[in-house]
Amino acid sequence: MEGVLTGLMGGLAIVFTPMGFFYVALGTILGISVGAIPGLSGAMLIALTLPLTYYMPATDAIVLLIGMYVGSITGGLITATLLRMPGTPSNVMTTFDGYPMARAGKPGRALGLGIAASFAGGIISWWFLLLLAKPLSIWATRFGPFEYFTLILMAMVLIASVSQGSLVKGLIAGLLGMLVSMPGIDPSSGMPRLTFDQHQMTSGLKLLPVLIGVFAVSQIISDVLDIGRKIERVESAKSGIMIKARDWWRYGGNMLRSGLIGTLVGILPGVGASIGSVIAYTTAKNVSKTPEQFGKGSEEGIVASETANNATVGGALIPLIAMGIPGSVIDAILIGALMIHSIQPGPTLFITNPDVVYAMIAACLIGNIIMLAVMTGSVNWVAKLAYIPRTYLLPIIIVCCVIGAFGLDNVMFDVWVMLVFGVIGFLLERARYPLGPFVIGFVLAPLMESKLRTGLMMTAGSITPIFTRPIAATFLVIAIVLLVWPLIGEWRRRRAEAAGVAG
Amino acid sequence: MRTKTKTTALLCGASVLAAGMAMASAAQADWPERPIRVIVPFGPGGTSDQVTRTFQIAIQENDLLPQPINVLNVGGHYSVGARQVMEAEPDGYTFLTLHIALMGGEAGGMLDFGYRDFEPVATTGQFCLTPVVRKDSGFDTVDDLLAKAAEEPDTLLFGANLGAINHMAGIMLQNSEPGAEFRFVQIGGGAENFTALTGAQTNVSVLSAAEVINFTKLPDGSDNPEAQIKPLAYTGPERNAKLPDLPTLTELGRDVEFCVDSWWFAPKGTPAEAIEGFAAALEAAAETDAIQTFYADRTFGPVFLKGDELQANLDETWERIEPVAKQAGQQ
Repeated sequence: MEGVLTGLMGGLAIVFTPMGFFYVALGTILGISVGAIPGLSGAMLIALTLPLTYYMPATDAIVLLIGMYVGSITGGLITATLLRMPGTPSNVMTTFDGYPMARAGKPGRALGLGIAASFAGGIISWWFLLLLAKPLSIWATRFGPFEYFTLILMAMVLIASVSQGSLVKGLIAGLLGMLVSMPGIDPSSGMPRLTFDQHQMTSGLKLLPVLIGVFAVSQIISDVLDIGRKIERVESAKSGIMIKARDWWRYGGNMLRSGLIGTLVGILPGVGASIGSVIAYTTAKNVSKTPEQFGKGSEEGIVASETANNATVGGALIPLIAMGIPGSVIDAILIGALMIHSIQPGPTLFITNPDVVYAMIAACLIGNIIMLAVMTGSVNWVAKLAYIPRTYLLPIIIVCCVIGAFGLDNVMFDVWVMLVFGVIGFLLERARYPLGPFVIGFVLAPLMESKLRTGLMMTAGSITPIFTRPIAATFLVIAIVLLVWPLIGEWRRRRAEAAGVAG
Repeated sequence: MRTKTKTTALLCGASVLAAGMAMASAAQADWPERPIRVIVPFGPGGTSDQVTRTFQIAIQENDLLPQPINVLNVGGHYSVGARQVMEAEPDGYTFLTLHIALMGGEAGGMLDFGYRDFEPVATTGQFCLTPVVRKDSGFDTVDDLLAKAAEEPDTLLFGANLGAINHMAGIMLQNSEPGAEFRFVQIGGGAENFTALTGAQTNVSVLSAAEVINFTKLPDGSDNPEAQIKPLAYTGPERNAKLPDLPTLTELGRDVEFCVDSWWFAPKGTPAEAIEGFAAALEAAAETDAIQTFYADRTFGPVFLKGDELQANLDETWERIEPVAKQAGQQ
């Protein structure tokens, strides 16, 4: 414990040197800005910055990148709320409730809640990072393919519960999303499939271009069609940006739960921030007293989604620091940044480079504090974004989307994918097929497939470990409960109504 | 401050090298006239990216080429970036860095092109592998492991990225013992396999020597008591300096040598002066402190090949790899 405290002091000392602080602040602010622009993602910012960091001292490089990581996850909340375009994939769940709230004249309140929740999520996972990095990452190695499979199954159940309107259309949209994720390299034979002789399709349809297309480009298309119509000027209530002590109290339980979910999901390698917020959102909806508000502007929904996606940042750093295993795509890039400086992240990183470890941990804390300050300070100004005439805004956003789709992997094909999915997303919306299930199917299906097939390879085709391995069985039970619970609630409500009418 | 001293040292070394290079570059006055682009067909941060960028920095800091080098990561599947270079204008300004995956993909039937569709430029360094098992597995030698794999074929779970380097290595290993058979399961790369072994989800895998050192050794070179895994042998031609107690597979009487070379390619038809000029710059860069430190950190073998020697080496590697990759493709 004393060692942790001394180490943390040392880390803070590094971050509070003028250059150290400058880089954390720069990283966080850049991260927020890039995160707030639909199309540009944190992963792209970090990938583009990485070559520059090769010329910087190791600790400066790493605190800069961590600042970007923290900032980008939070920045995405702004456009998700105001424009219904998630800045990064992990903010998709925030659009469901943030945008309706903003439309209802409470953009400040929605942003304020999102900022507070982001900060809470960051700090909750930071405590785990500081105190429990080692035991938690050992726990995570126990996760075999069947545990992952049932975990993802649990998240899949959300397809049914986030469907607005027709359940059948929700399921169709979910299945379409799963179908779209199928082309690429077959996860258990290594051979290409469904590529239709387009060699670019060997990489499959990538997450970012599809998501930007479905959410941002489709929104742009529908905005352009409506451009002649006068935008209804909702009066923004100035108050509400600073959330009150009462709100912290009211949403404290939700934040703790979602923060914990986000941290634990973040620790699992390969399971990203998007899934953390999906699971936290479902859980919040299922324990909520007002589940019918979810998707129509529920404050609880914003809190759950934003707490969880920020918590995955600290969570994902845990296996990186404790064992040298990247917990996310961005972590894999961070490992590269360290290795170029002859620092090998691994189980002995605490022994070989304690200064780097604690600089990372301190940067994570300071980044969150800077994020809170910057977001709160600028939110009044940022919220006006919703009132900028779309004729100015949309061209800028579409340019950023193209840059973002191209910039991640430097492949032009991805830009075409994005544009095509913009049209597909637009048509789906017009036909009242909900986009939420589409995205969840698209994000989760590949992971679910590869984990299941790995598991079946291990057992030569037997599925029994799903029932016999304790963690897997637990997830399975939760998934069933999550699926059945809303149905029972609905049935009881109807029965009560029927009784009321009869009486 | 430390960085500054390092840079000065590099610059001193550079002037010596630059003198040696002056004659070579005078002969190729026409190339390069504009910046050179090197495509890494993987995302940033991986081994290929680090090799390429370390060479980029070494060449630039030592003025080994009069024009800058731009490194471009083309993400997604590696065949996308490789194909981009194959189809690029062969004007001497586009290069590719890639490794044995190219041959594996061609032989396994997933690529319709291969190393013969490029002009080879150079090989810069190689890393070799080690079969690893859990400490509590009861296997102390490769013989123990393979005896079990022959006794009860298709029961030991071998974590691999199917069709990729670690899968091919696993097949070479099992082929060295008549009747031995692993059950290959899709896990992924080094970090994923370390996780799976630590969590006792798989029984065996291969990791690079650098990964094994990182995961099982303390900074002073002694064993890390917390590590759950141990290496059994080394696939290099000679023992690894940082793992001196680990026998090579050839020492153990098994005809398995498998190392992963970093290859540099150019599009077919690239002018010879560009290929030779770039190879000369890479060769000079390989001698710099920056690259030597990089090799030592990662226990890379300091191999350098170009020209006919490289061509012969590639053909010889293909002979060995083709049947193994075919076998991997049939899994």
